[in-house]
Amino acid sequence: MSMRTARSLLAVLLVGSAFRSTEAQDPRLSNRLDAPTRKALFAIVDSARAQGIPVEPLMEKVYQGLAMGADGSRIVVAVRSLTLEMGNAHRVLGAVATTDELKAAASAVHAGVPAVELGKMKKQSGLRRSLTLPFTVLADIVSRGVPVAAATNAIKSLVGAGAKDKDISDFQRNVSVDIEKGAQPAAAAETRAKGAGAPTPKEENREHE
Amino acid sequence: MPDWGRNTLELMVQELQHPVRLDDSFNRRVMVRVRRIYAERRHRSIIGWLGAAASISRRPAWAAALAAGVVAVVSVSLLHGPNKPSLPAGQTIPVQFVLVAPEARTVAVVGDFNNWGLGDTALVAVNHNGVWSVSAPVHTGVHRYAFLVNGKQWVADPTAPRAADDDFGQPSSALVVEASTQ
Repeated sequence: MSMRTARSLLAVLLVGSAFRSTEAQDPRLSNRLDAPTRKALFAIVDSARAQGIPVEPLMEKVYQGLAMGADGSRIVVAVRSLTLEMGNAHRVLGAVATTDELKAAASAVHAGVPAVELGKMKKQSGLRRSLTLPFTVLADIVSRGVPVAAATNAIKSLVGAGAKDKDISDFQRNVSVDIEKGAQPAAAAETRAKGAGAPTPKEENREHE
Repeated sequence: MPDWGRNTLELMVQELQHPVRLDDSFNRRVMVRVRRIYAERRHRSIIGWLGAAASISRRPAWAAALAAGVVAVVSVSLLHGPNKPSLPAGQTIPVQFVLVAPEARTVAVVGDFNNWGLGDTALVAVNHNGVWSVSAPVHTGVHRYAFLVNGKQWVADPTAPRAADDDFGQPSSALVVEASTQ
């Protein structure tokens, strides 16, 4: 048997064992996902792991899809999309980013925030500041209709002004209430960012001029 | 040098230029980070060892068996959820989930923290005159979750940030559980 054949055989054995063990542990995977879906998911997860992308959020996405009754192809699309978004976030945030930051950053990227903006925020805030909550709030307010640029500026201003997570949580709550009451989303974000002690985007731009 | 490498280097230089001030919570915050990094590295080192095992070729029979066994163990930890490998062990914070739903017959909370389990692992809320609530210890980190009303209707938590990625056409929320002060 040549070395290549032996390796191929080993690879088949390894993948087979992995699936059998996983299925034995969690019947949801074998009961609800067909073989091609499981194979596609395993390939995505394996590729993500090779790139240094944390795989736990990908598996959480699989479980979410199963719970919500999505079919296999939809789960594969969602997991592939999340892998790409986490990969983008990983590239701009660097090796210092935690799994939670990457997961939150991926949500922001999914909402439409350019990954490069998240990288700028990380650079601005330094190593000590976790951006998990700011990224989560950023994704939230964009999904509520705040334009990406206004939302990014608001969060950047808050983080730059040294706002704590509690301040940013309050900001999120206030913006969502304002929007529910009929406020224009961009105006709500800019006004509430100002109220939270951060300069408005316009003031910030003037400072840079 | 890849982009992330350059960014990391710049961040390190930036950090080293700051004066060092230690407050009372310093030790606790360091230990939270250390546990998190340890949990992530332990995961990576097992995978690295797995790669090394797969390259053993002199004794293919036992090497294949060994590697297959290791892959099985690693895969269980990666693909099966209850152990939450990304989160530091022991770091849980009590969280109360509340949903006002006077017409509901049942309300459960499912999410990343219980691997979206609908059966025994779902957090079943208790009805207090239409205000449904359940408290549970949740690992530090960011989690997606949703309320499941009457076993079929998905409802986002109106008091929490939205999870932007509703890939499955159902709403969900985001929860950030912090263990340490900043």
